[in-house]
This record gives sequence, structure tokens and C-alpha cells, in this order.
Amino acid sequence: MPLHVPPSWTAELHDLDALVFAPHDPTDDWDWVKSTLTLAFELSRSAAASRLPIVYVVDTDDLLGRRGAPRAMVATGLLSGARTAALETARDEVPVNVLAVEDGSTRSEICRWVRRLSEPGGPTGELVHLGSGHIGKALA
Amino acid sequence: MSVAVVTGAAGGIGRAVALRLARAGHRVVAVDVSDRIEEVVAMGGDGIDPSRIDAVQVDLTDPDGPEQVEQAVGDDHVAVLVNNAGITRDARLVNLAGPDFAAVLDINLGAAYHLTRRLIPRMRSGSSIISLASRAYLGNFGQYNYSMSKGAIVGMTRALAIELSPDIRVNAIAPGLIATEMTMGIPDDIRSKMVAAIPLGRMGEPAEVAELVAFLAMAEYITGEVVVIGGGRSLT
Repeated sequence: MPLHVPPSWTAELHDLDALVFAPHDPTDDWDWVKSTLTLAFELSRSAAASRLPIVYVVDTDDLLGRRGAPRAMVATGLLSGARTAALETARDEVPVNVLAVEDGSTRSEICRWVRRLSEPGGPTGELVHLGSGHIGKALA
Repeated sequence: MSVAVVTGAAGGIGRAVALRLARAGHRVVAVDVSDRIEEVVAMGGDGIDPSRIDAVQVDLTDPDGPEQVEQAVGDDHVAVLVNNAGITRDARLVNLAGPDFAAVLDINLGAAYHLTRRLIPRMRSGSSIISLASRAYLGNFGQYNYSMSKGAIVGMTRALAIELSPDIRVNAIAPGLIATEMTMGIPDDIRSKMVAAIPLGRMGEPAEVAELVAFLAMAEYITGEVVVIGGGRSLT
């Protein structure tokens, strides 16, 4: 049960048999970008080897580049990494998805969708947005 | 004089971009880690005077690399920055080695980020930053590291487009299968299958990517975009 999430989410996700990776404690520098993406890679490699579902949780504002380059690089890098991992695990029906949240997203809402997106045999390679801030914006 | 800085300029796409921007009237600072960069630049081409292109051999992952590029720019301003340098170290995620992940991230993303940050103060209103992502940012089997690095280039592009508006425009290009030394190294039977999946029925040419770079460098109302140039491959 590898979780890299804010401590407040742990109680609701502790029983989930999946990797959940949510970048946190961002700083505005390259070292944070590299260390975060490297940790995501290492945890994802282990999860893929164990055929565990993977869910990356990012912020819609970061996908759109609204909060600076370091946070944007991490968010969009994770999205692309998830799509490639999803291609590689699809044959085994192990899902890899990305959940994009907004400032107003609640912890229970986020955790509920993390569970949905980690269901074996479910959708894979998907980007699911909570809220409506993404509508009409650059998504790919 | 306006300067165009092109990284990865000893390779197929980078060389074509350097020549195209020289033809557009820029003095070009052609950057590459390879010691072939001077030889490649001296070849010229398309009637370009090789003296318009300065070859600079620099390792952009070296902490001093961006400063060396800035020194090559001299007292001129940077009108166009093209972040093109990149490598692949392919493997399935479960087999991907840590050093191969780090090398791709450092060169494809870190070098672009650090050089861009270094050169922004040398730009003026109307300057343009163009970064080469890849169609692989949409996902590509066996390329977790490469795909992640190119996806991150997209995020960097969006964020800098917001940060630097309205003075400096920032865009990305996502090429598909382009006929370069790297892709011509793919075994014939595999490359044929890849080409068969391209609706336009052929590989792209480096000159076609260079033409798109030249267009984006001049397109005054486009910023924060990712333009895919892949013969329709994203549809099949």
C-alpha cells in the first residue's frame, strides 16, 4: 500500500491496494521537480512490478501552468508518464490513471475517485477532472 | 543583431532548425554536446553562409553550460530560443534503470529549463521560446522516462507562456516519426510498421519541423500551444 499523499488523506486510503502519488510541499525550483518525478518513477516501477494500480493526483491549475513552471512540469510530466505506464500495463488489466483536482475539491471526494480509478479492470490511461475549472481549457 | 539559440544542433532536427533560422536572418548560436557540432555547422546548406552560425560545444547538464551559451550570445539579444536537445533511453517501466531515468530527465527537461531561465533576461519584447516536446507526451510504450520528460516540457511551456506574456511567446512542438539519424537506426521491419500507422504514409522530414519552428517564431498571436507534427499518427 504505497501512498505518497498529504497526511490527511492517509486514513481514508490506508486499505487501498494501489499506488497513490500526489505531489506535495512544492518549492519553486528544479530540485523539487527532479526529486518528485524521480520518486514517482521509483514508486511506479515497484507498483508496476507488483501489478498494482496507479493513480497520480495533480492540480488542474498546475496542468494548465497557472502556478509556475516547476509545479506545471511535475503535473504534466506525471500525466504523460501515466499514459505510457497505462499502455504497458493494459494487457494485465492494471489501471493507471490521473485525477486532477481543484482547490475546492474535498478530501472525501478525492479519495472516492482515487478508489474508482484504481479498480482493476476499470478505465486506464484516463485523466479525470473534479470540478469545472478545466472546461474550455487546454487539456491534452 | 538578433540571435537564435538552437540546442541539439548537430542532430537532424536541430541542424535543420539552425539553418532555417539563419536563412530567416538570425545569427545562430548552434549548441551541442557533440564534438561534431563544428563540422555540422561548417557544412552549411541551402545557400546559407556558415559564418552566420556559431558552433558551441557545451554539455547543457553541466552547471556552467547555460552560462557558456550566454557568453556565445555576446552583447546581442536572443530573439529565438529553440530547446531541442534530447536523448532516449528506452525500456519498459518495470525494467527502467534509475540512471537512464535520470539522464533523460536531466537532458530533455533540466537542460531546457536551466538554459531558458538563464536566457530570459537576454530577451526582448517579441522574442520567442520554442521547445521540442514529442508526440510521445501523449504516451508511448517503452518510453516512461522520455514521455514524462516531454510531457513536462508541455507544462513548462504553458507556465512560461503565462509568466512571460505579453512580451515573450512560448510554444512547443511535438514531432512524431521524423527521418533523423536516431529514427533511421530503428530496424527496417519495425520502422515500416510505424510508417504504416501514419495516415500521411511517410516519415516527416527535419526541414518540415524547422519550417514549423520558423512559423512559430514569427506567429505573433500564438503562445502556450503545443503543435503536433506527426502526419496524423495521433489519430490511428
